[in-house]
Amino acid sequence: MSSKVSSNPLRDPRDRRLPRLPDASALVVFGATGDLARKKLIPAVYDLANRGLLPPGFVLTGFARREWSDEEFAQFARESAEKGARTPFREEVWARLAGSVRFVQGSFDDDAAFDRLAGLLDELDKSHGIGGNAAFYLSIPPSAFPVVLKQMQRTGLANATDTPGWRRVVIEKPFGHDLASAHELNALVDDVFTPSGVYRIDHYLGKETVQNLFALRFANTLFEPIWNSQFVDSVQITMAEDVGIGTRAGFYDETGAARDVLQNHLLQLLALTAMEEPVSFGPETIRTEKLKVLRAVSLPTDLDRYAVRGQYEQGWLAGARVAGYLDEESIPADSHTETFAAVRFGIETRRWAGVPFYLRTGKRLPRRVTEISIVFKKAPHLPFDKTDTAELGNNQLVIRVQPDEGVTLKFGSKVPGSAMEVRDVAMDFLFGEAFTEALPEAYERLILDVLLGDATLFPNNAEVEESWRIIDPLEEFWARTTPHRYRAGSWGPAAADEMLAADGRRWRRP
Amino acid sequence: MTTLWDTTGSEVVKALSAERRAAGALAFGLALTLVVVVDEKNVAAAEGAATLAASAHPCRLLIVVRRQIDAPHPRLDAEVSIGGRLGPGEAIVMRMSGRLALHAESVVLPLLAPDAPVVTWWHDEPPTRIAYDPLGVFADRRVTDVTTAPDPLAALYQRAADFVPGDTDLSWTRLSPWRTLLAAAFDSVTEPPDAAVITAGRSNPSAQLFAGWLRNRLAVPVTVEEGTGRGDTGRDDIAAVSLRFGADRLSVTRTDSRSATISRSGYPDRVLPLAERGLGDLLAEELRRLDDDVVFAEALGTWSSLPNLGARSPHREHIWRDPMTAAAPAQAPAEAEAEAATGSGG
Repeated sequence: MSSKVSSNPLRDPRDRRLPRLPDASALVVFGATGDLARKKLIPAVYDLANRGLLPPGFVLTGFARREWSDEEFAQFARESAEKGARTPFREEVWARLAGSVRFVQGSFDDDAAFDRLAGLLDELDKSHGIGGNAAFYLSIPPSAFPVVLKQMQRTGLANATDTPGWRRVVIEKPFGHDLASAHELNALVDDVFTPSGVYRIDHYLGKETVQNLFALRFANTLFEPIWNSQFVDSVQITMAEDVGIGTRAGFYDETGAARDVLQNHLLQLLALTAMEEPVSFGPETIRTEKLKVLRAVSLPTDLDRYAVRGQYEQGWLAGARVAGYLDEESIPADSHTETFAAVRFGIETRRWAGVPFYLRTGKRLPRRVTEISIVFKKAPHLPFDKTDTAELGNNQLVIRVQPDEGVTLKFGSKVPGSAMEVRDVAMDFLFGEAFTEALPEAYERLILDVLLGDATLFPNNAEVEESWRIIDPLEEFWARTTPHRYRAGSWGPAAADEMLAADGRRWRRP
Repeated sequence: MTTLWDTTGSEVVKALSAERRAAGALAFGLALTLVVVVDEKNVAAAEGAATLAASAHPCRLLIVVRRQIDAPHPRLDAEVSIGGRLGPGEAIVMRMSGRLALHAESVVLPLLAPDAPVVTWWHDEPPTRIAYDPLGVFADRRVTDVTTAPDPLAALYQRAADFVPGDTDLSWTRLSPWRTLLAAAFDSVTEPPDAAVITAGRSNPSAQLFAGWLRNRLAVPVTVEEGTGRGDTGRDDIAAVSLRFGADRLSVTRTDSRSATISRSGYPDRVLPLAERGLGDLLAEELRRLDDDVVFAEALGTWSSLPNLGARSPHREHIWRDPMTAAAPAQAPAEAEAEAATGSGG
């Protein structure tokens, strides 16, 4: 928290009824007419306003190529909010927000447009008292980053040292496509802004369940003592999607599942699952521990067996026929891009030595689900007859990230009856049942954190580069192979199952 | 839904188990038990509010209606439902008459969700001392609403006199949006104010708590002026708060039932949401946190000039009091403790 908050005599950390409100500030969205802005960013801003979490003197500014006036952009924003907001649309909330919506027309190489934007921020200083505070959301293709960042440098928009207030920039994945390009991008962004002013969005980290991992592990005595190689047999992290590539064909075919999901979301989930306890709950201490884990991640030597990628063929999913990847629009018929990736990682630390971490992600799998499953070792000795425990599996702790956010504990229990028979049962904890109001959308939380200057849930440049160090050799290996085929609507190629079978394990069906 | 006429506590417990089994809710995650104490004539209002709050905070809802204490025979009627008209969770409405109404805890205790916190909410005028009501004694959090009393300010003072950590009053909850706005407006203020003025109705307890809070936080004189301002609410709600910094001013003024204007010398006016909230929303805010509210204790203590409210022991002993025999005047604490020590009867 900034020192400003603690100097406000009306604020008190013990006063939990007063929400944290950011300073008066402008949120400038580049690519304000794009899909992300329409579906996620603008609705999230509306939801924040509706929950009363935006400060007096908040301004939403759009920057895009269209020839729009403030009013036309406000109308567009209104339609986006009406359609995408999670909280009910209320006219009066919108009316207040609409009064603080601005639009700057221009392309990224247009000097005059950026001069206008700089002028607008000065103007907002007087009219809205934003005190020089501005967050720039780059909802634009990464190829446009250099030119936009240079413009911001030229006009002093990114300069937080000579102007009062703070300047922050928010960027979305992909953070490069390999270590070298990520390094280049980081150097550029960190140079134009300061490293602490750069917020890299990984929206998975905005999800309540992911944050609950911290609570589960570090607020309880129950789990941490067994959170190590002595008790854990293996860890499975799955992110499955039932959808195909949608309208992102061009981008996806260049990227593939490993770069799109494995490099960021799955490795972040792995880091949170495997990290040591941070010395305190702050951005720097948490990043330190995550980075240590990522540095300790090792690849298997037998990549043929333990790094499987796949590509979906046509099939049936949720009662409908769906096309294969190669038949999707604007995908080259000889594409070798993967839509499924499963890899076994190791973590070379005392805590995790010998525990395999199986990560998998894919499109056109049977259902949309993301979960982390900790599979525990079997009891070293069972004082029962073999037949009594024939149906007993490994104990499991499953963190369901989405949907049905919650935790499942799977353990053996006696089947009622005269015989001693032990079978697996599941105990479910559902977030929605034990807790409060509608869970805030990840973008809502993350935008609020950016405005508050809380970087806890944002990976930093070192983490991004370390993740590429892990992924690069895989990509290099895969470049020489063809992906395995799997039918749309199945749980991936047979090779992925064989990978676990070779270790005497099997994938958990999420 | 199961309806039980002239039944016993054990039958209610059995009916709840049966309903749970039928609903397949045996692994239902319960965070708390909410006990609602309400008069027959207000049952619908209390049910509505509790249902709304329960949908935000899944809980076991126990609604206790005491009536006809002078009825010759004790009698219990109950309605048990899961996922019915009283929200998604488990709900039991119990009507108790005759002497049973004085021993409502005998029915309620076995129905509390195991080892989960208990919140008791008095929809109507709270007991003079919480310790008179056993349903308040076993609760971890107690929620009252002094605006239901004929003299809200006297009732608020009584809450302060009777306060122990874990008590809150909805007149404080109603104040949260005001405090939020003022604190936000204050974020950019650097110098301390000289004085503050709150404009509100004469007997508005929230305005008094507002004054207590501001005095406590800012250590400046705070006055409450009578006025209804521009609010279209037609009630004695808070209309405005204004702080003076030398020649400068910072004020928050309610413009209508949904918004307020923040004015500050040298800055343009700003309109922000200040919605009036229903009882259900207020209750939901209370259920959000189940620990005691130290800031409330400080505000109440400063307003009432009673020192160290927050340092009092959070535990209460039940004080037996029979409304049929004792016309029970409010007792001095020393007297009451002596009485508590002698135990209860009835």
